[in-house]
Amino acid sequence: MSKRGVLLAVSMMLMLICWSAAWAADPYVVGFSAALTGPGSGTYAPVKDAFDVYFNEVNSKGGINGHPVKIIFEDNAAQPSKAASDAKKFATQDKVILMMNASLSSTFAPMVQVAEKSNIPILFAAAVCPAEVYPPKPDRNEFCSTAFAAKYDSRFAIKFIKEEAKGPVKLSLVAMNIPVSRGEIDFAAELASKTEGFTVLGKEAIPPPTPDFTPFASKIKDSGANWVYAWAPWETEVKTLEALRKLGWTGKFLAWAHIQAEEDLERLKDDNFYVFGTNAFFADDSAMHKKIKEAALKAKTIYPYQKLTEGWIAAMVLDQILKRTAWPATPEKVRDAMNELKVELAGLRGGPLVWTKENHFRTVNYYRVYKWDSASKRIKNVKDWTAIEVK
Amino acid sequence: MAFASGYFKTSYADDLAIVETRGRWIALIALLLGLVIFPFLASPFLTDLANQVFMALIGAVALMILTGFAGQISLGHAGLIAAGAFTTAILFKELHAPFWITLPASGLVGAILGVLFGLPSLRLKGLYLALSTLALHFIVTFVGSEYETTRGFATGIVLDPPRIGSLILEDALAWYFVLLLISVMTVIFATNLVRSRTGRAWMAIRDRDVAAAAFGIKISTYKLYAFVVCSVLTSIAGCLFAYYRGFVSVEAFSLLMTIQYIAMVIIGGLGSMLGAVLGTIFVVLLPYGIDSVADHLAVPSRFTTYMFAIKHSCFGLIMILFLVLEPAGLVGVWIRIRDYFVLWPFRYKHFGG
Amino acid sequence: MQLVVNVIVLASLYCLICCGYVLVYRASRVLNLAHGEIMTLGGYFLLSITLVTTGNPFVSLGLAVCASLLVGLVVYFALMKFMAGESVFAAVLVTVALGILLRGLITLIWTSQSWHPLENLGLTNTGHKLLGNAVISTFGIAAVLSAIALYVALFVCLKFTRWGLRMRAVGENPLLASQRGIDIHKYYSLSWGLAAFSGGLAGIIMACDSGLEPNMYVIGLMAFPVVLVGGLDSLGGVIPGSLVVALAQVAAISISPQASEVAPFIVLLCMLLIRPWGLFGTKEEWERV
Repeated sequence: MSKRGVLLAVSMMLMLICWSAAWAADPYVVGFSAALTGPGSGTYAPVKDAFDVYFNEVNSKGGINGHPVKIIFEDNAAQPSKAASDAKKFATQDKVILMMNASLSSTFAPMVQVAEKSNIPILFAAAVCPAEVYPPKPDRNEFCSTAFAAKYDSRFAIKFIKEEAKGPVKLSLVAMNIPVSRGEIDFAAELASKTEGFTVLGKEAIPPPTPDFTPFASKIKDSGANWVYAWAPWETEVKTLEALRKLGWTGKFLAWAHIQAEEDLERLKDDNFYVFGTNAFFADDSAMHKKIKEAALKAKTIYPYQKLTEGWIAAMVLDQILKRTAWPATPEKVRDAMNELKVELAGLRGGPLVWTKENHFRTVNYYRVYKWDSASKRIKNVKDWTAIEVK
Repeated sequence: MAFASGYFKTSYADDLAIVETRGRWIALIALLLGLVIFPFLASPFLTDLANQVFMALIGAVALMILTGFAGQISLGHAGLIAAGAFTTAILFKELHAPFWITLPASGLVGAILGVLFGLPSLRLKGLYLALSTLALHFIVTFVGSEYETTRGFATGIVLDPPRIGSLILEDALAWYFVLLLISVMTVIFATNLVRSRTGRAWMAIRDRDVAAAAFGIKISTYKLYAFVVCSVLTSIAGCLFAYYRGFVSVEAFSLLMTIQYIAMVIIGGLGSMLGAVLGTIFVVLLPYGIDSVADHLAVPSRFTTYMFAIKHSCFGLIMILFLVLEPAGLVGVWIRIRDYFVLWPFRYKHFGG
Repeated sequence: MQLVVNVIVLASLYCLICCGYVLVYRASRVLNLAHGEIMTLGGYFLLSITLVTTGNPFVSLGLAVCASLLVGLVVYFALMKFMAGESVFAAVLVTVALGILLRGLITLIWTSQSWHPLENLGLTNTGHKLLGNAVISTFGIAAVLSAIALYVALFVCLKFTRWGLRMRAVGENPLLASQRGIDIHKYYSLSWGLAAFSGGLAGIIMACDSGLEPNMYVIGLMAFPVVLVGGLDSLGGVIPGSLVVALAQVAAISISPQASEVAPFIVLLCMLLIRPWGLFGTKEEWERV
């Protein structure tokens, strides 16, 4: 009986493959390839939650310009070849007008290749911005709404360490053993030693699947560093810090604030742990934050509401893009809309996101620094919005 | 073969033939015609799916030769595909080599690696052999990732589509016919190899190697030969893989890929070419089948987020079911169906028939 | 000195994990490649228990290891029992498929974000000073102590108790043992249960030490060379094996981080070339070709 059952199941599976239905209505179709599982998924998967909540609401109110928005999510598990086949599927089968990517940087090149060949714009949300979106001459199809940005981040960070440190700085740097992170740390080390005169003691490039961060932390502690700067995926940053604290290191740690930052600042309650980023924390409790929290709790999202900011910002950006794309939508119209975009972010970032033909990143980037304050037992804003022009 | 009323070969030529009856010839030609017409009737997505099946088939046939016919367990299959892909990528990036150089070069690299992968088999059996091939897999991928980081292609190597003269192999239709040709040739090659003296030696080694040595079969030569044939075919599959994706990056060649190929061979049924074909079709199309099912049922948002995990779980579950319930694989299922219809209304062949 | 402490902590973790590999291999000649996932499952059980109850932390820990033991028994009775007579290759593939299935289920049930069960437990993972400026964390101490306790207990039981004797008999010659009246299914399931217990314990310690995420199963794969160095069927061999591999890994970090990823496998390859059955394993037939 069981063997026939297997046979039946197999034949049913084969039949179902050939039977594919078509989408009934006439929506704006967007393809999103994200690392919903696999390395780094803790940072990228919540974007889907934010998108689900945001666009379910938009669609229930009649959609944009009278048409619903259909976002096709594919999981690329941070694998470049899966991202390549996702992109191919979006271009050939789903006929999307815009592609999106929220995944590790290794998935960028294959998706960009498909986007260029089929001339469909691609928006990087929640993932590090590729070098081709910066002014003065960005690639015409690549756009980025993500918070973090190579080189600008480190320029701000090193300046901040200079301001905050009261005395000589012996700096150690931490990266994950992927090229984007390592490249940024190399740049920061140069900046630190040449421009600001820090003593750069060493750079640690930690491989992704490390069971124990203690050996790396021992190296940093033994070198006698009093400041550590980390620009890497969140797990690497926070696990290095925890290992350092276990070893009894008492220096100051500055890390890029990924979406998990707020939760972990509250969990670790460490006064010398500084995080810097472009997104405001929920601790600010602005009107927009309240709205996101309410919607997330109502929809029972998989990820907690504190992690939805980046995704929500990306959803707002997509909303604006589609609003300015007249029906019938084509990739060309989407690209034109994106080349002149201004999105009001209502307190989620320091100011609006502005794209131009020469700048697919944003014209002004605003940074803020947070840390835990044990005196007041809450997360404190150490340095308020600092605008840096992006030229 | 269960003929309803007996066994009818009357000459040696008949006995040696690959295709045994006229009915089978007709079915085979109909299948080939169907395959040739298919891309003109199907959507580009289905053509892409068929391309993926053909590419995987080459690797699966290679593994079937090694594991199904020669009985050598190899867990380094993804490493061999990586070797073929990286050879292509390195030659393309460093020397701008065209397609008709990279393809044989990948084969050559595969042959060398085949000797390397096969050397442990002269001393080790079973589990230890599998582990040494696994260690070699890690070393190949390590070399690949070192190349990527030191030469600055850390996010992967982008390849141009291959050109043969003035023809560019870019769209799905062109790829379909090229891949169809190559995979049909591979299957014919493998089938012929397996029913030749070499194949019989392999099967002897697989079943009782001590007895095979007593028959005068030189075990070391044939074992190495099996590894080399498998590696050459797999590296060629890797080269095609690199060109088809247009992109080479070390993360794609993980242990999961090896497991998928082993699943193709096992779910298909060890020891037959038909098994390799059926297994490949099943394993490549399974995730898409699950997608179709999910599209038609109203699944909550949590499931769509973790579609990948569901496909993963289904893959594991189905592999378990086949291993436990039907060790002979899809071929076993097929033989049972075929026998049912051939022998009907009888249930089994009578003794002596 | 800190280096020595790091090596010992890593080695104890490997000991806990590899004890499971050896137990299952010795009893049923099957290599359980799903061990990494069972270990992760142990950590996740702790998480679920702490999310549901808020009692004594040691009770939660105890419940979590018992749940892991149960998982081992369930895996045996629901799955491995049917593969008892089949070829080893097929049995190993079933464990691989089980691992894939478990990985998918873990992501489905607990999502792919990282969790920290330690805060729910109410314990803290502080550092303690040892002599010579070295620091060891609470759970590092826990790892070393539990590895020692487990090994002593297993050694005593396998050598001196009746059921230990029977387990060894079943491992050496199942046919003869079953014909002597020993219920092989009982002892196979016991070995699987113990393996899952030790793996779950390792998973729980790692979850408390550095956090839970679905990619933890990779550590089970990296612990694999340890068993090969020590000998697949030698429980005593795991200790020198884990020390060697831990030393190689920690030493390789000072060369380069990438080297520390590959170091265990280079040790594995060397072992396979020189002495495939490990330092203390039973000598298998060497091919004379």
